[in-house]
Amino acid sequence: MNVALTIDGIGVSFPGLKAVDGVSMLIQQGELRVLLGANGAGKTTLMDLISGKTRSTEGRVFLFDTEITNWEPHRIARAGVGRKFQIPSVFRDFTVRGNLDVASCSDPRVRANLGIGISRARRARINEVLELTGLADVADEQAASLSHGQTQWLELAMLIVQDPKLILLDEPTAGMTQAETHKTAEIVKGLRGQHTILVVEHDMAFVREIAETITVMHLGKVLAEGDITAIENNADVRRAYLGSHGIGVEAA
Amino acid sequence: MITTRNLDRAAYIIFIALILLAPLVLQEFWLNRIAKFLVFGILGVAVSICWGYGGILNLGQGLFFGAGAYMLAMSLKLASNTSLQQGSDQPVPDFMLWNAEPGAPTELCCISKVSFLWLPFQSQWFGVAMGVVLPIVLAFVLGSIVFRKRIAGVFVSVITLALVLLVRLLVIDAQPVTNGFNGLTDLGTFQVAGFEFEPYSRATYYLVAGFLALALVGGRLLVETRAGLILQAIRDDQNRARYLGFDVPVYQVFFFTVSAAISGIAGMLYVIVAEFASPTFMDLSFSITMVVWAALGGRSSLLGACIGALLINVVAATVSETQMFVEAWKAMIGLVFVLVVLFLPRGLAGFGQDIAEALSARRKPAAVAEAEGRTP
Repeated sequence: MNVALTIDGIGVSFPGLKAVDGVSMLIQQGELRVLLGANGAGKTTLMDLISGKTRSTEGRVFLFDTEITNWEPHRIARAGVGRKFQIPSVFRDFTVRGNLDVASCSDPRVRANLGIGISRARRARINEVLELTGLADVADEQAASLSHGQTQWLELAMLIVQDPKLILLDEPTAGMTQAETHKTAEIVKGLRGQHTILVVEHDMAFVREIAETITVMHLGKVLAEGDITAIENNADVRRAYLGSHGIGVEAA
Repeated sequence: MITTRNLDRAAYIIFIALILLAPLVLQEFWLNRIAKFLVFGILGVAVSICWGYGGILNLGQGLFFGAGAYMLAMSLKLASNTSLQQGSDQPVPDFMLWNAEPGAPTELCCISKVSFLWLPFQSQWFGVAMGVVLPIVLAFVLGSIVFRKRIAGVFVSVITLALVLLVRLLVIDAQPVTNGFNGLTDLGTFQVAGFEFEPYSRATYYLVAGFLALALVGGRLLVETRAGLILQAIRDDQNRARYLGFDVPVYQVFFFTVSAAISGIAGMLYVIVAEFASPTFMDLSFSITMVVWAALGGRSSLLGACIGALLINVVAATVSETQMFVEAWKAMIGLVFVLVVLFLPRGLAGFGQDIAEALSARRKPAAVAEAEGRTP
């Protein structure tokens, strides 16, 4: 199997703080990897480093065979990295469908986009993703009028039509009800296999539902890596993060 | 069936028909006046593309308008009788002679240190070309710097505002080549294949009206392309667009430049209609007034912004004939701006759309019932 994402000793120092410190990680194509860690462990910063939001001061990142270290964010996105933000970020003045129209644009250049309308294949794909994310009923509503959960799903849908090789999800269930969380888990599970996914998540119920391999971060470093059982039984992880109760209990 | 989209199209068609039919009822004096206002309508379209669709509040749109105006005015100045009859082989503008150092040669090439810049403007079409090219180059360079540096929001406004004031100062300061704050007056007429566009003629009116129609239709098509959609997406959430893979500054620079080119053309048309170019085009108050036009008419509607420009100018022209209001006019403009921002954030166009939506919503149940009645 191919390695989709290779992180080789990546790190960044902010004044007085080493937010991410020599993190290395391999993620296989089609894998769904969960990133755990307490607040301030460096999970979001690691995503920022992969997606180009923050420039690293050491180490390298590869997407398949392409080194994407410190590229401009839009180039990393074009290379095949899709990112969902912690605070859902969608085009609020657009309809749900309009959001997907923009996201599914296959060529980012101005010149390529001086036409009007959208191809039939893309239209079909958008309808498919609207069904998949349960947004078909609100396709013509303005994004600003969606509920919080729907906004999260819309951002997910935008990632899906963008069709990236690697999807970065930063707390996709933040602020969701239990039912919404469950549905999000279903959507994410549906993506497994077709896309390589890296998820940061605090919600343990969600993690239990989707996780295959878990990487635990602590103070900017990788503390442990393995499946749920291995992580639960890892003494370091218990000390640093989970307390003595193990996964399944809300660990805030 | 009535949809808001059809109503919208109908509004464009009716408006364009109106401006094309207007000469049938207008006197010469008003024909010229309305032509000037139509030029401002073109500026409204330019502001709407940049501000309404791109979210870029340019407080120095007058820079591009002025650049276009001066480029054509230089050509027309050389074509005027006063420049042609100075007793040398090449035309020399009268003000250059007045401003010349004692003993300087009275030739265009060398009457002052930089007067040679005027040489190519002996061709009218060089002036016309530069009237588009200069705003495009200025906007491209300025935009590339500003947007690449991810400067956004109010800082763009501050930079453009400072820049237009700077250029205005430079133009005034360079008296020997620009005639300073007097501007370029006493111009020749614009000619196409021997036909003269007299400022008070119908032909000139139609020239302006034609360009306005072109700006409206072309601009509307442009903002409806996928690139236009992406521009609006960038306006809504720059970061989201960036992480979808769009090179945000490229889109901003492109539309900023388009807006500048339209402003440059408007500047040239204004010179043809008004027969002068002056540093007042680059006054801060003029650039800000353009923003008020767009805000009143509805910045997210090209037609709205255009109608806003016409409306304010027609009212201004009427009101300013009453002595009492001349001084108060600027305060009234300010008041209009505040009221629109507070109570009509989408401008008159937004107000119109709300009404249109309410109308079509009322008709819909009837239409649905009818459709259902037909199917067994």
